[in-house]
Amino acid sequence: MDFPELRFKDLVARVPIIQGGMGVGISLSGLSSAVANQGGIGVISAAMIGMEEPDIAKNPEEANIRALQKEIAKAREMTSGILGVNIMVALSNFAELVKTSIRERMDIIFAGAGLPFDLPQYQTPESRTKLVPIISSARAARVMCKKWLSRFNYLPDGFVVEGPLAGGHLGFKKEQLENPEFKLENLVQEVVAEVRPFEDEHGQAIPVIAAGGIYSGEDICRFLRLGASGVQLGTRFVATHECDADMAFKQSFIDCTEEDLMIIKSPVGMPGRAMRNQFLEDVEKGGKKPFKCLYHCIVTCDYKQSPYCIASALANAKKGRMHKGFVFAGQTAHRIQEIMSVKELIESLRQEYAQACS
Amino acid sequence: MSVEQKVKEIVVDQLGISADEVKPEAKFVEDLGADSLDLTELIMAMEEEFDIEIDDEKAQELLTIQAVVDFIKANQ
Repeated sequence: MDFPELRFKDLVARVPIIQGGMGVGISLSGLSSAVANQGGIGVISAAMIGMEEPDIAKNPEEANIRALQKEIAKAREMTSGILGVNIMVALSNFAELVKTSIRERMDIIFAGAGLPFDLPQYQTPESRTKLVPIISSARAARVMCKKWLSRFNYLPDGFVVEGPLAGGHLGFKKEQLENPEFKLENLVQEVVAEVRPFEDEHGQAIPVIAAGGIYSGEDICRFLRLGASGVQLGTRFVATHECDADMAFKQSFIDCTEEDLMIIKSPVGMPGRAMRNQFLEDVEKGGKKPFKCLYHCIVTCDYKQSPYCIASALANAKKGRMHKGFVFAGQTAHRIQEIMSVKELIESLRQEYAQACS
Repeated sequence: MSVEQKVKEIVVDQLGISADEVKPEAKFVEDLGADSLDLTELIMAMEEEFDIEIDDEKAQELLTIQAVVDFIKANQ
């Protein structure tokens, strides 16, 4: 059995796999266009996307917008497939990044790390950009639907439900992460049930995408059977030739053991799943990496108390300077064995899916 | 029913707490254990009940039950 389509209104992906947005600079035009070319949905991460712009420290807002435009143009040159952008709600230039993405006709905006209550406000009448919040509970799905309906008469075009095994920033309290009540299998079914009355009342489908800890085609089969319309994978796409990070960054996924994965308390005020290294061990022991906050990139960042700048740390890791930063990774990172092409990855997932789901 | 009573009823209902915890000076987050989603739902319930609009910035300032009551009375 081949993959079913994933549909957001008029937008149809023939492979129901979304490549999760990964920042800083891990999923840009290279990775996203490769995924889109295989029929999935490629996603550019907007978080501090302007890190390589010469004026990033002087004019972070302009530099980020310019870099996003460039990256979208580059990706569009390489694919005619479906492209999205992931914009964290907590980014201080969230509104401008959203407006730019809509103006540049991105197919989908994924917005997480906070609930995007005002997102539909930036829609324009001619825009076909789909708006998809990333959430971690059925309650959030209900509140988002109600709020968007009451303020904008707009239903979310879908939801990504990110469970506790995801990499990077997590929408859970630390103690919830290991509580089986919050496992993704439960969350997906709860969200599917929660959105159904809204779908029925408005005659509009709200596809639910499962994310966080999904590794194999068999996993994809399982989550689609639980009611998900698609899945989002991040970690698996790091280990591809097309991923926009340095080889040393990718190599750390191949070398990673289960014990290397840890939960950090991120300066932005959420827990995050990361890969243990010297940098994080130093921080754990109370070490400081002195910095001046140049970018003011995250609204909720407690930079005065933070021992390091997370934007710089993540950007350093992306460039392979592992001693000056660290890697965000999902719980499945230790299972990564080799680097392959996006095409090979999607094909292997397709075969596993066919076997498991037939 | 007075505004005070109605607000109290909504808070009890939304936060699933007992009526005697709901004192005018009680803070939603610190005293009543509300999280950001609860606050959003509370504000939406107030908007619906009293047929008013509370914009997001104003909502950030409504930290106690009394603040909500005062706002509703001033805007009804």
